[in-house]
Amino acid sequence: MSDQKFYGEDQLKIIFTREQIEEKINELGKNISEDYADKDLIMVGVLRGSTYFLVDLTRKMQIPFAIDFISISHYSEQTDSTGVVRITKDLDLSVSGKHVLIVEDIVDTGLSLGYLLRNIKTRNPAGLKVCTLLNVEARRIVDVPVDYKGFDIPNIFVVGYGLDYNENYRNLQFIAEFNRPQ
Amino acid sequence: MSIITISREFGSGGEAVARLVSQKTGFLLINKDSIARGLAEHGIEPPGEGLEDLDLEQDEAARSYIEATHEYIYDLAIRNDLVILGRGGSILFKDYPPALHVRIIAQFTRRVQRVMKTYDLNSDTAVKLVKEKDRNMIRYYRQVFDVNWNNLRLYNLVLNTEIMELEDVADIIVGAYRIHAEPREIKDAPPKPEIEDSVFATPAENETEHFMHSSEEEFAHMLDFYRIRWEYEPRTFLLEWDSEGNVVEAFSPDFYLPDQALFIELTTQKPKQAWKKNRKIRRMNELYPHINVKLIDKRGFESLLKKHSIDQEQDDRRDDYEDEGEET
Repeated sequence: MSDQKFYGEDQLKIIFTREQIEEKINELGKNISEDYADKDLIMVGVLRGSTYFLVDLTRKMQIPFAIDFISISHYSEQTDSTGVVRITKDLDLSVSGKHVLIVEDIVDTGLSLGYLLRNIKTRNPAGLKVCTLLNVEARRIVDVPVDYKGFDIPNIFVVGYGLDYNENYRNLQFIAEFNRPQ
Repeated sequence: MSIITISREFGSGGEAVARLVSQKTGFLLINKDSIARGLAEHGIEPPGEGLEDLDLEQDEAARSYIEATHEYIYDLAIRNDLVILGRGGSILFKDYPPALHVRIIAQFTRRVQRVMKTYDLNSDTAVKLVKEKDRNMIRYYRQVFDVNWNNLRLYNLVLNTEIMELEDVADIIVGAYRIHAEPREIKDAPPKPEIEDSVFATPAENETEHFMHSSEEEFAHMLDFYRIRWEYEPRTFLLEWDSEGNVVEAFSPDFYLPDQALFIELTTQKPKQAWKKNRKIRRMNELYPHINVKLIDKRGFESLLKKHSIDQEQDDRRDDYEDEGEET
């Protein structure tokens, strides 16, 4: 299989194959199951990018847990420049006294994750940790703890396996570097 | 009870100005030391060496000493005409309309040069001292009054000592005070607008920020969006000196994020044009290894804003144009 794929003008270079992702998720599921054995766990998927990862990760879990979702507004999506971040879809479950694991597709600047952590912390969970499939340390602005991570990647733009370019490419089973030649 | 408060950046010559103003007006000059002596006469001693170094949230003794300081100043003001140097005078007397609040400023490099001369220091030590004093001031104002020390709206008059003799600066203050204070005795004062940002002012709300570049403004908006505190170009780092100790190169990173203790420099220049900034940051890391500074380049900035759009080519052309006017 060539690692270059073309979708119209878009050029995608595969960096993690389906098999590599699967193997990594197996490992993460095992570690998280061990760490949260005997704990009341709520896995919180951050919409929309983490959905594919959350589904596959939870299938590998060997302990009971609950699933919930949260979504926040993003700077890049707002129409004027005066707003502040807000929760657009809140948790349905109460997390007070529970162990919360936030599941992200990618942690880059830490700005949105930092906000989420501050917000959820005020609800008094017994524990609050972060699991991300991809980690881009080179883009970090705000220090955020990453307790479980799949892959470290450099400062590149990636799509696939939940990550999008203008809502496209989320359903790819691999993760690829995205380029649109000018 | 006439009040002139003078807040100054360390090395700006503000102390000498306050002395001159006191001489010209006959008002009693009070500063940190004279207040400490006055309190000591009442048996109140400072809890530690430098109040600025203490953590007021933790330290009950420091808090009550500062409260005593404020009481002492208010008490003196009832019986005397005062020139108050520092100590948050402009905030203590912000609700007293006849008071004139003055801020004395000068460029970082000029302040360093003045400190080198006044205290006979080498440039390294002077830089460290000026920076430390600035940091302490910001910390003191934040802890004691919860305001941004660099918010120039706390003052009625801001004077830059780079272009004038200190004597002239003092004359301007005395003149301004007379104009400011005298009409009040013969006619009703106009209604004062509420100064909303005098308390709880964050740099983000401070409209006095003038960004050099549109990308900086956008970055500031983004930090505001995620409720991250920031300061714009709050510090200048000296990078090179000539054989006589004159500063030949300095660097002011665009942003400081106090909660992250992180300086950020933005560049929308293309990588091959950004080498100068890269070099400055490398030099900064050598000279100030304890300072966290990060360069966000064109690509990083675009990915921050998720600006992978069809407008990108247009943006590139505009950025190239704007970068021509940027500091080097």
